[in-house]
Amino acid sequence: MATIQFQDIRKSFGDTEVLKGVGLNIADGEFLSLVGPSGCGKSTLLRILAGLESQTSGSVRIGGIPVDGLHAADRDLAMVFQSYALYPHLTVAENIAVPLTMRRLSPAQRLPVIGRAFPGSAAMRAEISTIVRDAADMLDIGHLLERKPGQLSGGQRQRVAVGRALVRDPAAFLLDEPLSNLDAKMRVHMRTEIAQLNRSLGATFVYVTHDQAEAMTMSDRIAVMMGGELLQVGTPDALYDFPNDIRVAQFIGSPAINILPVETDAGGAIHLCDRRTGLRAGGPPVEHLGVRPEALAPCDDDELLSGRVRLIENLGSDLFVQLDVPGVPLPVTLRLPPSERGKVKVGDLMHLRAAEGRICGFDVAGKAASVATLKRVASHV
Amino acid sequence: MCDALTLSSAASKPQKIARPERRQARAGMALFAPALILLVVILIFPVTVAALLSFTDYTLGRPGISWVGLRNYVDIFSGSSYRKMIVATVLYVLIVVPVSVFLGLGAALLIRSLKVGQSFYKTVYFLPVMASLLAMAIVWEFALHPTLGIVNRTLAMGCGTPVEWWSWFAHGCTEGFPLWLGDRDYALYTLAFIGIWQSFGFNMVLYLAGLTSVPSDLYGAASMDGVKRGWERFRLVTWPMLGPTTVFVVTITTIRSFQVFDTVEALTHGGPAKSTYVMIYAIYQKGIAQNLVGLGAALTVLFLALVMLINVAQRRFIERKVHYQ
Amino acid sequence: MTHRFSARQTLAHLLLILGAVIVLLPFYVMISTSFKSPAEIATGTGGVFGSQALFTDQSCTNLGGTEADCLVRPVIDNYSQAFTKAPLWRYLLNGVIVTASIFALQTLIAVPAAYALAKLKFWGRDAALGLVLFCLLIPVHAIALPIYLMLAKLGLTNSYAALIAPWVVSAFGIFLMRQFFMTVPDDLIDAASMDGMGEFAIIWRVMLPTAIPALLAFAIFSVVAHWNDYFWPRIVITGDRSLFTPPLGLREFKGDLGGDFYGPMMATATIIAVPLVVAFLLAQRRFIDGITLSGMK
Repeated sequence: MATIQFQDIRKSFGDTEVLKGVGLNIADGEFLSLVGPSGCGKSTLLRILAGLESQTSGSVRIGGIPVDGLHAADRDLAMVFQSYALYPHLTVAENIAVPLTMRRLSPAQRLPVIGRAFPGSAAMRAEISTIVRDAADMLDIGHLLERKPGQLSGGQRQRVAVGRALVRDPAAFLLDEPLSNLDAKMRVHMRTEIAQLNRSLGATFVYVTHDQAEAMTMSDRIAVMMGGELLQVGTPDALYDFPNDIRVAQFIGSPAINILPVETDAGGAIHLCDRRTGLRAGGPPVEHLGVRPEALAPCDDDELLSGRVRLIENLGSDLFVQLDVPGVPLPVTLRLPPSERGKVKVGDLMHLRAAEGRICGFDVAGKAASVATLKRVASHV
Repeated sequence: MCDALTLSSAASKPQKIARPERRQARAGMALFAPALILLVVILIFPVTVAALLSFTDYTLGRPGISWVGLRNYVDIFSGSSYRKMIVATVLYVLIVVPVSVFLGLGAALLIRSLKVGQSFYKTVYFLPVMASLLAMAIVWEFALHPTLGIVNRTLAMGCGTPVEWWSWFAHGCTEGFPLWLGDRDYALYTLAFIGIWQSFGFNMVLYLAGLTSVPSDLYGAASMDGVKRGWERFRLVTWPMLGPTTVFVVTITTIRSFQVFDTVEALTHGGPAKSTYVMIYAIYQKGIAQNLVGLGAALTVLFLALVMLINVAQRRFIERKVHYQ
Repeated sequence: MTHRFSARQTLAHLLLILGAVIVLLPFYVMISTSFKSPAEIATGTGGVFGSQALFTDQSCTNLGGTEADCLVRPVIDNYSQAFTKAPLWRYLLNGVIVTASIFALQTLIAVPAAYALAKLKFWGRDAALGLVLFCLLIPVHAIALPIYLMLAKLGLTNSYAALIAPWVVSAFGIFLMRQFFMTVPDDLIDAASMDGMGEFAIIWRVMLPTAIPALLAFAIFSVVAHWNDYFWPRIVITGDRSLFTPPLGLREFKGDLGGDFYGPMMATATIIAVPLVVAFLLAQRRFIDGITLSGMK
């Protein structure tokens, strides 16, 4: 069990800088997800932590101790790979046992056949096989121990890979997109299993994924990375409700947040397509507004925006309505409860307002900028 | 209504029915037919001919032919020159295959570990595979010429230097260095050396391809699992993952070394003292040069049996051991 | 750490350079000798490319030439003798004719057969594939004797046909192309059918262009094998020099001259080895990929 600190990690391949100074502290026992689109540097950061790649500058500490220059084998970390990276020529039991045999048996004891003759070898092997069996039972793969990875399904291979990480009792678990090779149903199932594993082991988990839904459902905290930079680190709720960057707002949440291009006049009032919105900038001028689909609600007059219904998506539990709004390039999405089914038709004109405090503002650089409703400002005057 | 319409029009013009399956079947057979005929005429039929002739005393140009039963086979297994043939062939294969496979693997691993110069070495080591073996054999013969050759001249330069502590070398300095191809103790090894020289670059290329197909995640996993030394990594990941490549490389090298001919025909004619009298050369010499067709056919059958045996062994081995499925 | 790493690299380079010296030795001997005069060859002098001092050609003076007429540069003498002592141009032409014909015919036979095996359902297809796989195991060199007898019975020895015929069907070529065709989506063929193409049009205008990498790999494999082949021409060409392939011509050179004319002989060897070596150096990646592809399938 250990804390993990990244201190200003930079990494370049030739002229391209893939990590531009990442600093991040991970608490002991925390489940932290590194999330971002592909190529954002999240896997590189994980591999630097693992010791599989070296950073160009900066420092990594595990349990407060710098591990830079330390071989991957000596960092006391376990990793689950996207491809599972199981040794195809070894049985499930042998695969899970590898980290133990490599660490606990001497090179002589590891030799095939004759290795067993060395003193202490038999006892140690018995101990290892007990640990392997326990881990396998815990993951519900006890009946597969004698199979080869080639004979297993994707989900079973996944469990073997987790088992191989588990037997080590490492300081932290690193998981690199471990669910991306599974089918949709299995993915949802393994999501809960991995989250439970984190709770029951109490170990630190660093989880890399490009799927924001995975990160949202499993993590204690999420670190959003883009273009080699850490944009925001926070709990799933904080990221969802208070994104500090327009790119975070757009990346987190499905369906995506509605982004409305707006103008802030000299007095601070915010205009959408030359109409006042009843909102004003609390600080710097606001360039964009972000509103989650569930934060929008129909109303009688034009409070925030109005548009014509372009498409209705009925998911059963939810009804998503897309509106064409003048001045907004992308359709605006609105979530309605299933009770509204059949009441809205394509072509209808709808007026929308936003729930109190659920509008985010972003300045010209895309950073969060405060937004206040005019009413409250008026009462202050 | 609709059905009836189709039926009637079909009945009136039966040849117009589009039956893709039948058309495909006809096209398939027609397209494969030339290959089929040629495979049978060029490969299957000759094997049968060889099998039949091996029981006769047939010779080309003489009208008579008589059945001699197993006499040709008995001759092969009882004659001393044939025993020498087996010894020479097997010894040649047993030297060339392990050394050439090992060097191919070693070169591939070394080249893969390089930061610069990978393609240079790849090119150099592959050159012998491209060059005509006959031409290069003749060059080697000249290089190994007892007096004019660069090899013995270079060795002679070592005389009078500390290398002479090696008794073999000291002996060469006083008595003359080996004749190589002209010495029965050296000839087969010299040919094996040329065979290795020519073939290991091919094995290297196959191993390089095999190495690129080893998933890099496996090396990452091995590091995480506590593997630090190169040798352990080789044993846990590289060698098992190269299993299919190795089986293929060993098989193809074995079959090719069994077929060694160019160097023997051009450099030693099976000599001295039949020390390089390998099987394909024996088939050529007996069956074609000396027109002892029955004997040559019997040798052909034995040779084919040997090659088939190796192939079957390879298939079995691949299915059981190295495909991990 | 960095230091140890570079020491390792240096050791690897040293080993590989040692290997490269041994690998390149005969190439060096071949080219170097082809540049030298007989005297330099006999004494082992002259460095890499010989001194290129003029010397008197014995065969020229024997024919009554004057000393001045018969002074020649070693390199020019060696290479001109290579072409005058034997019809080397003819041998090279034969090599080209034989290799090109073999490859063309192999393609003509193998591509339709491979297409049928990969994409058409017909009665006996599994058996046909089994036959191809079985034939893959028969080395043609091993059955040279019965093929030679068949050709002899047909009176075909000492002809281009004898050089080419045994090789026109390549089980390996059929198998390689079939493996490649298997990866072509059926939809492509269905679309071509819908566009009105017949089977032949599909093979040559749709399948073949998609299979160029495989065909190229096979071409390299086939050309290298048959340009360099010595065994088969040695068997079926007996005496008729106008049908000699390059390796046969070189072998004859060696036999004729009793080994004393090393300069011209090495010149001939160089000329024979050069086309493939140069082609290889120009398109190494293609060659290595091709050999790998044909090796691994």
